[in-house]
Amino acid sequence: MAKGYLVLEDGTVFEGELFGAECETNGEVVFTTGMCGYQESLTDPSFKGQILVMTYPLIGNYGVADEYYQSRAIHVRGLVVREYCKEPSPMYGGRTIDDFLKTFGIPGISGIDTRDLVIKIRTGGTVKGAITSDAEGIEDLVKRLRDMPAPSESNLVGEVSCKQISSRDNGKELTVGLIDCGTKSGILRDLNARFNVVTFPYDTPADVIVDSGVKGVLISNGPGDPAHPDIAKTTVRTVSDLSTQLPLFGICFGSQLIGIAMGGSTYKLKFGHRGCNQPVKNGNRVYITSQNHGFAVDEHSLDGTGLVVNQVNVNDGSVEGVVHRDLPIFTSQYHPEASPGPCDTSYLFDWFGKMIKEGRL
Amino acid sequence: MVIGSGPIVIGQAAEFDFSGTQACRSLREEGYKTVLVNSNPATIQTDPDTADSVYIEPLMASNIAKIIEKEGVDGVLSGMGGQTALNICSELADSGELERLHCSLVGTQPDAIAMSEDRELFKETMERIGEPVPVSRSVNTIEEAKEAVKIIGRYPVLIRPAYTLGGTGGGIAHNEEELEEICARGLAYSRIHQVLIEESVLGWKEYEYEVMRDSNDNCIIICNMENLDAMGIHTGESIVVAPCLTLSDTDHQRLRTAALKVIRALNIEGGCNVQFAFNPANGDYRLIEVNPRVSRSSALASKATGYPIARVATKIAVGYTLDEIPNRITGTTCAAFEPSIDYVVIKIPRWPFDKFRTVDRHLGTQMKSTGEVMSIGRTFEEALLKGLRSLEIGVKGLDRVDVTDEQIREELVDATDKRIFVMAEALRRGWSEEEVADLAKWDIFFVKKLSNIIDMENRIKAGLTTDILREAKEMGFSDETIAELTGSKPLEIRAERKKNGIVPVYKMVDTCAAEFEAGTPYFYSTYGRSTEYRGDDGRKKVVIVGGGPIRIGQGIEFDYCCVHGVMALQEEGVDAIIINNNPETVSTDYDISDRLYFEPLTLEDVLNVIDAEQADSVICQYGGQTSVNLAMDIEAATKGTKTRVLGTSPDEMDVAEDRRRFSKLMDELKIKQPRSGTGYSFEEAKAIAEDIGYPVLVRPSYVLGGRAMEIVYSTEELKTYVDTAVKVSRNHPILIDKYLTEAIEIDVDCVCDGKDVYIGGIMEHVEYAGCHSGDATMVLPPFTLKQETIDEIVDITERVALALQIHGLMNLQLAVKDGQVYMIEANPRASRTVPFISKATGIPLAKIGTKIMLGKTLKDFGLKGYRPIDHYAVKASVFPFLKLPGVDSILTPEMKSTGEVMGIDEDFHTACYKALIAAGNKLPTEGGVYITVNDQDKPRIVEPARQLKEMGFTIYATKGTSTYLREHGVETTSVFRLDERQNPNAIGLMRDGKINLIINTPSQKSGAVRDGYTMRRLAVELEIPFMTTVQGAEIAVGSIKVARSQKLDVRSMKDFHGLV
Repeated sequence: MAKGYLVLEDGTVFEGELFGAECETNGEVVFTTGMCGYQESLTDPSFKGQILVMTYPLIGNYGVADEYYQSRAIHVRGLVVREYCKEPSPMYGGRTIDDFLKTFGIPGISGIDTRDLVIKIRTGGTVKGAITSDAEGIEDLVKRLRDMPAPSESNLVGEVSCKQISSRDNGKELTVGLIDCGTKSGILRDLNARFNVVTFPYDTPADVIVDSGVKGVLISNGPGDPAHPDIAKTTVRTVSDLSTQLPLFGICFGSQLIGIAMGGSTYKLKFGHRGCNQPVKNGNRVYITSQNHGFAVDEHSLDGTGLVVNQVNVNDGSVEGVVHRDLPIFTSQYHPEASPGPCDTSYLFDWFGKMIKEGRL
Repeated sequence: MVIGSGPIVIGQAAEFDFSGTQACRSLREEGYKTVLVNSNPATIQTDPDTADSVYIEPLMASNIAKIIEKEGVDGVLSGMGGQTALNICSELADSGELERLHCSLVGTQPDAIAMSEDRELFKETMERIGEPVPVSRSVNTIEEAKEAVKIIGRYPVLIRPAYTLGGTGGGIAHNEEELEEICARGLAYSRIHQVLIEESVLGWKEYEYEVMRDSNDNCIIICNMENLDAMGIHTGESIVVAPCLTLSDTDHQRLRTAALKVIRALNIEGGCNVQFAFNPANGDYRLIEVNPRVSRSSALASKATGYPIARVATKIAVGYTLDEIPNRITGTTCAAFEPSIDYVVIKIPRWPFDKFRTVDRHLGTQMKSTGEVMSIGRTFEEALLKGLRSLEIGVKGLDRVDVTDEQIREELVDATDKRIFVMAEALRRGWSEEEVADLAKWDIFFVKKLSNIIDMENRIKAGLTTDILREAKEMGFSDETIAELTGSKPLEIRAERKKNGIVPVYKMVDTCAAEFEAGTPYFYSTYGRSTEYRGDDGRKKVVIVGGGPIRIGQGIEFDYCCVHGVMALQEEGVDAIIINNNPETVSTDYDISDRLYFEPLTLEDVLNVIDAEQADSVICQYGGQTSVNLAMDIEAATKGTKTRVLGTSPDEMDVAEDRRRFSKLMDELKIKQPRSGTGYSFEEAKAIAEDIGYPVLVRPSYVLGGRAMEIVYSTEELKTYVDTAVKVSRNHPILIDKYLTEAIEIDVDCVCDGKDVYIGGIMEHVEYAGCHSGDATMVLPPFTLKQETIDEIVDITERVALALQIHGLMNLQLAVKDGQVYMIEANPRASRTVPFISKATGIPLAKIGTKIMLGKTLKDFGLKGYRPIDHYAVKASVFPFLKLPGVDSILTPEMKSTGEVMGIDEDFHTACYKALIAAGNKLPTEGGVYITVNDQDKPRIVEPARQLKEMGFTIYATKGTSTYLREHGVETTSVFRLDERQNPNAIGLMRDGKINLIINTPSQKSGAVRDGYTMRRLAVELEIPFMTTVQGAEIAVGSIKVARSQKLDVRSMKDFHGLV
């Protein structure tokens, strides 16, 4: 087993053992508290540019299986675990996570005191970091990490969005559009179960979408900063144009884009919400939700936008959903499609259909 | 009102003390006036300050109704006292009694109880919401059971009695014969004479979900758990890991969603436990069981995650919603979230098979374990090895077992308590992981973890390097195991480790995988980069070594003492630190101590905590034998540091424990002892026995706690004993004591500060000396002793306590024969009667003992000498015979009871009656009594027999007893002895329901105590009270009179303590 290092920009070095692909990597180090669902997370395009720390210490126990992909590839830049399973339970075919990472050229490091690392991130906020096998180069690496721009400074959405419009007829009554900012297949699954779906690249202009005849549009999850200039020029403009023409539903990144498009703003959370246990209050009900986001809509920026906060995070009071006072628009900052996580809020997809039909939520 | 669960029995242990105590605190926080009722005095919940009114009364619906009426109770919390409380609540609701008293059930409602407990209703409900359950039929007769199997279409089938706890009376039938046998038993145990015949899902995986729901229909999962053992082994008997390790997120969410549907369909407001069978071949699942209340699993889930289920369930019961309840662990978030954990939790059951050598050790759908341990690690291997060494069954980890290949195969297929060790042995012998997993029906994932441990053993054996040592520690290996593998000593390994900086760190249990900052004082050890215990707050720090798993001989009493130790330390401004590994208990509630370490109780693990804490002192008196055994070693290992063992010095403790040193002391003090000797061979033992004179009490010198202790009446019996029960050799001598026949046994508990002695209580046993004091029925104060004998007992106690320089608590066991007092043993520690005495007298001995250890004196408390009380408290024991086929119910020097109850009243017979019924004795008020007594008991049995006759009982007696009774004017019906093989005899009459009480005093002749097994066993199965002494008979008769008078009063503890 090759020795390796997780190096943080503040100079902290964790020694561990390398697995997965044999290469160096860097990115923003974030953690998720989901206890299973590692495959879904690794293939979630929202993790683009990030090194993922799993707080659960045993990862890969049940292997990797075809049906759990959330996209065609692994999107994290590196995986950090306390222990990865070399010989998984055979229940789901038994393919190892080591093999999985190798296939996609992604390195992993194990033997890390992940709890110590998480406390560091929780205390100091999200940091940049790298996984390397080169002990000598660490000092240099730290310098490079400090100088390196945050991954969210590039247009990550452009890297993960589809390139062409595609449509799928599911024999349903309604056809809806999906603006793909890096959508998880879980969203597609839930849409396909209810609608015919036309998927658009993130930079599709509004008129193209309106002309396609879809009756409502879902703006998907995606990686990076929603306030990125490339997004402002493309998706945000599209959403703004669509807002008066079609019913809209935004999930996660899509929720933030709706906030910005309607005149609000977003901010970066200290270390984000990533996990399957985040409580969200909607009315007087509390739902346990799946989350993966580093940015959030600023509640105070919504004055005069017509958007009102209708869902909040029970832990920290952050915005978990907005609804427009007059227009058929609503959002969820969390993931009603789960994958991974609880399916308690999948009813939002039904709301979407209802909103399209009735013209309001 | 909160109803407790009564005595500790198999299937209901300390978890309900934990839940009931949390419930009371939670209610009082909200300003409710609380009433607590439980018959078990060894609980924290029956402490005077747990609730506004505390009742120690038998848990019967009629009694509960009286208390409800007397206290003007508005609501009864139904879900905190296990099946016992739930059944009482159902009964009160069904009978209309609650309505009459204008009282309602709070939390789980009667319809929800019925829907989850009544198999047929449960099935209907599940079918309505589209959740799959095994194909099944409820039946009320054996014929119907056979029909049901035809519908299911194949054997094996499961048989589950309705309304029983711990699966009592259930089983798996592979053919019609087994079906008949198990059904007969199951029907008898079920409160509504109903059993369920069910499609077998044997071999499927078993998963459990702990669910909470509030009145707003908010639902959350607290924890999920995976059983390592497949379906077919009761979850209470299975090794369990949390969270589930081998389920994909998709499958986990399927089961989670199903669990939420279930709790909604059952309309449960509060906590509930949902069990699933999961077919690994195709992902099918079946709902197996729902418990509409907090349970042992929820206690485990609370400790595993840090989420206080009982506390939150209580808040929900009184109307709060989850988002309104703060999460006290983080302090900033609320109870509406699902805990995420970042470690592996393992639960391993603790079985009583070390006590019951004749019992069938196979595991199945009926619980046999008395307790459990929990361990936490950052890897599976670490958690497992910590769990195994927490069991206190003499193993250091995955120790080797001596088995043949044939035995391995049998054991893998048909598990006993030893299976995990046998699996490891199979792997060591080169069996393939696939074969082991396949035979045992384990997921190979877990078998491979065992292989990892074995690989590490081999690496250690091949040559221990610093790197390997570090890896082994990370994998959870104990210093002891490493020492054994390398031929060195544990303390050498420890020194080597410390030299290389290989010391454990302590991580926090915080419900949120470190996402939020938490101040929870709840830690576990692991080997990693950083520790989370932040060291000094400048206060003095005292570690209390806990009692470990509940087993026979070491029950909840010691947890009670530990918790009282904690309270006393805190009252004195000292940081109280608990080390324990029992997830059921109050002591392992993170809210109790200043810091809780969930750790094995071995020298290594305890020293590690002492090191990490830089503790000032350690208390070893309160955790029973577990902690006493560590005292000497802790003192030796901490020599030269600031850490001291508090209280009686370990050397003085050793005087009491070491027979030779103790005998010498007794001679010096001129205190009589039964004659004794130590035999290093059968011949020596024989010579000693003949010199002392039979009967003698024999036991191996190397086992404590009455294990393998027997009374032998002849050389032949002695021979049998050394041939079958224990091996006697140079290294393993046996101890031989004169057995004092028909002596009265006395227990004394006292507190001593080195100058003065306070006698907490003197308890007289109802049974003759020779019955283990843990099993004996005890009366406080003595009910037959003369004042001068009591004076002598007081005098002896004072002299022994001062001679041993006791600082803290001491227990004495004495025997009185012909007016002479003999010393049997002295235990320089908290005994299991401490809580009983404290409840009976209102004087909290364990707290006072602790403060004395800290330097206070008895004068500070105004306590000295012996103070009589003017009411009676009777302790009765409960036994696991019903759940353990093949065990003889005769009481011997070896302890067999799992728990105890207290009956308390001004009137002696009423106190006895309360104790007897609280212990589950079904005392008849009419019917037949079978009497057969030995010759010397005949004169004394006449009066009880006459009284029974006067009350209208039919007296059945064998010839000798019958003749004697008739000669003395008591009319009897003669029956044949069993060996006469003629009717009518006792067995036939018992089966016909004609005998409702048995008085059978065995003759003292050789072997006689072993006779009558068939009758005793049948009495156990038919639940016929069985008295084996004349005193017992007298007490039973007195109690029956009380029962017939129907003038039973309920009185709170305050009422009694007012009398002190």
